[in-house]
Amino acid sequence: MFQRTQNINLSPIKTMELLASKIPDVVSLAQGIPSFDTPEIVKKAAIKALNRGVVAKYSLTYGLLELRETIEQKLAEDGMFYDFEKEIIAVAGSIEGITATLIATIEPQKDEVIIFSPDYTSYAEAIKVAGGKPVYVNLIESSSAKASEDKNEGWKIDIADLKQKISSRTAAIMFSNPNNPTGVIFSKDDLLKIADLINGTEAFIISDEVYKDFIYLNAYSRFSLAQIPELRKKIIRIFSLSKAYAMAGWRIGFLHSDEENIKEILKIHDSLVTCAPVIAQHAAMAALDYGDREVAKFVSEFHKRRDIMCSYLDELKDFFEYQKPNGSYFVFPKIKQINTDFSLINTNKMDDNLKKMIQGSKSWQFALELLYNAHVVVVPGLAFGPAGENHIRLSFGRRQKDIEEGMRRIKKYLANSH
Amino acid sequence: MVLFLKRLLQLKLKYLAKIYIWRTNPFVIVVAGTTNRHWIKECILEALKEKGISCRGNKKNFNAEIGLPLSVLGVYSETDDDSKIRRWFNVLLKSARAAFFEKATDYLVLEMAIDKPDDMEYLLGIIKPQAAVFTTITMIYPENFSNLDEIAAEYRRLIKRLPKSGMAILNADDERIISLKEYSPARVFTYGIESPDPGFMAKDITKSLAGQEFLIQTADLKTKTVKINKFGQHHIYAELVKEVIVGGIIAKS
Repeated sequence: MFQRTQNINLSPIKTMELLASKIPDVVSLAQGIPSFDTPEIVKKAAIKALNRGVVAKYSLTYGLLELRETIEQKLAEDGMFYDFEKEIIAVAGSIEGITATLIATIEPQKDEVIIFSPDYTSYAEAIKVAGGKPVYVNLIESSSAKASEDKNEGWKIDIADLKQKISSRTAAIMFSNPNNPTGVIFSKDDLLKIADLINGTEAFIISDEVYKDFIYLNAYSRFSLAQIPELRKKIIRIFSLSKAYAMAGWRIGFLHSDEENIKEILKIHDSLVTCAPVIAQHAAMAALDYGDREVAKFVSEFHKRRDIMCSYLDELKDFFEYQKPNGSYFVFPKIKQINTDFSLINTNKMDDNLKKMIQGSKSWQFALELLYNAHVVVVPGLAFGPAGENHIRLSFGRRQKDIEEGMRRIKKYLANSH
Repeated sequence: MVLFLKRLLQLKLKYLAKIYIWRTNPFVIVVAGTTNRHWIKECILEALKEKGISCRGNKKNFNAEIGLPLSVLGVYSETDDDSKIRRWFNVLLKSARAAFFEKATDYLVLEMAIDKPDDMEYLLGIIKPQAAVFTTITMIYPENFSNLDEIAAEYRRLIKRLPKSGMAILNADDERIISLKEYSPARVFTYGIESPDPGFMAKDITKSLAGQEFLIQTADLKTKTVKINKFGQHHIYAELVKEVIVGGIIAKS
């Protein structure tokens, strides 16, 4: 029974949240969703659409024409030119777009998808759901804590390893940029190297750019491989409105690529969801048209919260070293000189899968230690791939008072117990 | 209360826009239809700017009852949220200033959006277009129009109001659009890709990674090759309209 799902795990983030839900007075720095509510203008557009009686029926499988026209215009502002009629699909959140893309691109003889480690925790599971095999390429963490600030090189793609792992079985290389959980923004040079490596192969690049708006570098000019016309048949770019427009629960995003790829992905999208939620499509239209000011406000607030979180980490330099994130809203500190005392944690009520995951994983053990002893939820680094081990992910997308309280608790706990 | 204030605002904006038009007398080109208004408007503006002609168009979706007069006045609220009374008061102040003092522009190129019957009548109460481009008629407001012919009836109102000296530019590939031809008091220009005999025609279309290349044949059978870095048939239509505007308006101005 359930053979297909035996190797598929619930996201560790959700596991942590589930464990936390049983403990009173817990502060979460785990969840990757922004603390803000959806902008008023977006909510009003949805209410208006609801009252107009236009949300009860399916839209076209591609999505509403008007929404796709708006998306085409937004993409053009960023130097990406895609046909709204045939090259853009509105999807039910980025993970649906990712899954549809993976199902469309993975084949029996081409079943490997290269992902970075660390990278978004759900990639590996989505690949398995699509019948593929995740192949990890490590990101290399700089030994200098200033690498991130000085050169945006806190974490670098191991290009040599990537080159070695590309084979005739490679269906795609998939990554988030800016990267979740490290917050690094991959350099244009490195992205172009990836494009070079797949040149002449049948592999695609799946570029997940849900954090593209959250960038804290001065004078940074946003770059995506989807801006390069010669690569349009090789790139499938995915964007979600969950983070940038605080619309995680609306389940709305979009993907775009050359017509040849989109017509295949569309078949899977149709089978999975028929169309993205129509009310969310109407809301997305308002967000893209009128939400820029709100996005700028979010970015400025997250910038401030990043600095607050980093200042706490600076105070905890005996316990952590970290690369200051230039993008997304996560910090991914490395745990040092902490001997977790796992015997203090009661594992009796944990299921076997969880116990298996925890065994031998310092990041899991430390995350649970913080949960049970400091009442702070963080995500164990192993959740983001093997190279994430010995790290934890902290989200500064949470409210400022939660960040301050959570970091105070961690500081107090570490000072008293280690 | 909010609805009353919105109506009041709408009325004030309408008259301020009319004052601006009366004072500066711009040549008004409107782009009407249910899809592809944006890129056609952008192409027309590009053609005018290339010739050094002063022009202005609407931003984003400022194309209906409130957005259109604001576009005429060149005033933009950062959102179309109608609940922030203070913000709208500021918009009203800026609009009043623009109505009396905003510098004149030679051309206004405006997208015109209707989402219910009689919207067209209201918009035509604000502007008197000299030229109108008609794009497509597709069903996008099923709650207010029972069929596509009802939407076509709205566009009929627009074409009938064009002056004899004006221009009606019709998409020959859309049957409902081309059937508006007989109601036009103005000169009619047609454009298309699929119909057998449009005045302005695109043919030999090829797509490459860099974009699209095609041949435009004008009504007087002159041809020119056009290359664009955008994808989709709607951009070819936009280039065709640009050609009509260049030949029909700019060359004579």
